[in-house]
Amino acid sequence: MLSWDIAVNRAINNAVPKVYKVLREHPYIEELAKRLREAKLEVLNNLEKYVEETLQSVKNNGGNAYYVHDEKEAQEIVGKIVGKGKIVVMGKSMVAYELGIRKYLESLGNEVWETDLGEFLIQQANEPPSHIIAPAIHMTKESVGKLLKEKLGGVDENSKVEDMVAVVRKFLRDKFVKADVGITGANAIAADTGSVLLVENEGNIRFTTVAPQIHIAIAGVEKILPTLADAMIEPLVQSAYAGLYPPTYVNLTSGPSSTADIEHNRVRPAHGPKEFHLILVDNGRVKANKDNVLREALLCIRCGRCHFHCPIYRAIGNIWGDPPYSGPMGAMWSYIVKGDTKPAMYCAHSGNCKEVCPMRINIPRVLEHIKNLGLHSQGKDKLDYK
Amino acid sequence: MYHVNNLSEIGKILVDNLNRYYMPFPVDKKVCSGWAKDLHRGGDTIIYTSCMYQIEPAVGMFLKFLPSISSFKVLMPLARLVKPSKSQLDRAYKILNNIVEALEKSGIKPGYLYEEEPYSGAILLEMGFLEEFGEYAKKIVSLFREKGVKKIITVDPHTHNALTRYQEFVKHDLEIVNYLELVNYTKKVEGEFTIHDSCLYSRFLGLREKYRGLIEKSGIKLVEDEMITGKDTSSCCGGPLGPVDLKVSEKIAENRAKDLEKLSKRLLVVCPICYVTLSPHFKGEIMDIAEVIF
Repeated sequence: MLSWDIAVNRAINNAVPKVYKVLREHPYIEELAKRLREAKLEVLNNLEKYVEETLQSVKNNGGNAYYVHDEKEAQEIVGKIVGKGKIVVMGKSMVAYELGIRKYLESLGNEVWETDLGEFLIQQANEPPSHIIAPAIHMTKESVGKLLKEKLGGVDENSKVEDMVAVVRKFLRDKFVKADVGITGANAIAADTGSVLLVENEGNIRFTTVAPQIHIAIAGVEKILPTLADAMIEPLVQSAYAGLYPPTYVNLTSGPSSTADIEHNRVRPAHGPKEFHLILVDNGRVKANKDNVLREALLCIRCGRCHFHCPIYRAIGNIWGDPPYSGPMGAMWSYIVKGDTKPAMYCAHSGNCKEVCPMRINIPRVLEHIKNLGLHSQGKDKLDYK
Repeated sequence: MYHVNNLSEIGKILVDNLNRYYMPFPVDKKVCSGWAKDLHRGGDTIIYTSCMYQIEPAVGMFLKFLPSISSFKVLMPLARLVKPSKSQLDRAYKILNNIVEALEKSGIKPGYLYEEEPYSGAILLEMGFLEEFGEYAKKIVSLFREKGVKKIITVDPHTHNALTRYQEFVKHDLEIVNYLELVNYTKKVEGEFTIHDSCLYSRFLGLREKYRGLIEKSGIKLVEDEMITGKDTSSCCGGPLGPVDLKVSEKIAENRAKDLEKLSKRLLVVCPICYVTLSPHFKGEIMDIAEVIF
C-alpha cells in the first residue's frame, strides 16, 4: 500500500467519526452553522461596505489596516512592516501561503519559522500542504519520526508521537521568545469592532499573536462577518466540523495590546504587541463574489471536512489542487485564486462533500460551473450542433 | 497518475457523435433496442433506457484510447469495432425486461421509442460541457414533443439526473419519473448482500430510501457500515472520471471495492456504470438490483 493510502485512511478513520460525535453531543452547533452562513452571505452581498467598515474599525483600535489586490501588493506591505534580518514566527496562515509570504520574507534575509506542527513539518520537508487544516496529513508517524531525526534529532521512526511533538516544542519555544514579528491568518474578522478571531489547539497561535512586538494578520475579505457576535460563532463551527471540539484555544485580537488599569483610561500598548496590522486580501475573491455560482465557494470556513468524504481526494490527495488548496474546497479555490480549472475537472460529482459541508455549499455544482468555464475559455468556443 | 485527458477534443468527439447518431459513441441502434419485443412504439408514457445498460459494458474500450487521441477522427474506425459481447447484452436485456415486467405488475404499460430513442446527453453534463448539454437538451425535448411523449420513465441514475436538469436549459412540461418510484419488488429473495449506492440517486435525486426500501421488503438483509455505506460516506465508484483520467477512475474503484469486500462478497448496485466500473476490482459477485428483486 502506498504511504498516501496508509496516511489518508488513518486520518479518515480518526476524523470522520469524531465530527459525527461532536454534532451528536452538541446539537446547537448545526444551528450556529446556519446562522454563520446567513451572516457570511450578508457580507458577500455588501462586500465593499463591510471591507470599508473593517478597515476603519481596525484603525479605531490603534491598528493599521490595508486592502491588497494581489500577491505582489501583499508581499510589499508585509516586507515593509517586517524589514530585514528579523526572526518571524508564522501561525499557520493558508492565505500567507497562497501569497508566498514566507518565501518572500526569507528572500529579504529574514529567519521565518512555521509554528503549527503540521506546517513546521512540511517546511522542514520542503513539501506543499496536503490538507487545509492538517497540512502534513500525507505523512505517517513513521515518516515524521524519520524527518525529525534528520532535522532536529532526539527521536526516530519508532518514537511515540508525544515525543516527536516534544522535540518540536522545545525547538520552537526558543523561536517564539526571540521572534520580532508574528504572522497569522484569521478565522473570522468582525467588521464592527475590527477584531480578529483565531481558533487553534497547539498554543502556537497564542504565542505568535502575543509574544512578538508586531502582529500581522493576513486574511481574505470573505472572512469578514458583520459583528463580533457573528465572528465569535465561527471558531465554534469551524472546530466542530473539523472534529476538534472544543478547540483548545480561541484567540481574539482587537488592535495592539492595551490596558485601562490606571484611571480606567485605555492606553496602548501594554504587555503584548505594540503594533497590529490587518491585511485584507482580494486576490480573485472580489471577482468570484460577482459570479452567483462561484460566490458559494466564498462561504467556505476551511474545516476540511469535505476532504475526508471525497473519493478523489482519498485516491490522489495531496497532488489534487494548487497548494495550499486541496480536496473539494481546494478545487474551487484553485480557480478563485489561481484561475486554474484543471482541479475542478476531477470532480466525479460524488456529492458527499455537499452533504457534509457546514455551510451547505453545493460544491459539485460550483465545480461543474468551473469545468464549463475551463472548457470554453482561452479561445475554446462552444461546440456546435448541426 | 495525474494526467487529465484532452477534454476539449473529447467534447468534439461526443458532439460529433451526438449529431450523427443521437449517441455519444457510434453504436448500432439495434444493440440498444434489441431487448424490447412486445412494447408498443411510442405513446405518451415511455420507458427510456438512453442505451445505458446496453452500451456501458463497451464504453471501457473507448476510454482506453482517449488519452492518446490527437484527433477524434483517429478514434472513429476503432469505435465501430467496439460492441458489447453477447453475454453482456443478454444480461442488459434481461435487466430491462425485468424492469418492464415490474412496471406492468404495477399496472403501467410503457411504450418505447426503439431505434429512435436518443441518448440523454448525461456525459456532456457530467464532464462540464454545460452549454453543449443545454443545446442538446433543447433538441431532445423537441424530439420527445414530436413523438407525443408526455411521461418518461428512466431506468438509471445518470439519465434520470440529466433529464431532471433539462428544465434549467429549456422550458418543458415533460414528466420525468424513475422506475424505482413506480414499482414494487416482484421476487422474494433470501440472503445477505452489501450495497453500493448510486451517488446521483442517493445524494442528488432523493431515491436512496426508495430502492433500499424495495430491497429490504424483498427479504434481503443488507450488510451496512456507517463508514462505508452511510449516506455521507459511501463513495463514488469512479466511473464518471473515466473520460477525464482513467487511472484515477480505476484507483477510486479499487478503493471502493476493497471497502465493500469487507462487508460482503455479494454486492448490489443500482447503476450500470457502477457495475462496469467496480466489476474488475470487486472480489465477489456483483448484481444489479433489477437482476435480483424483479
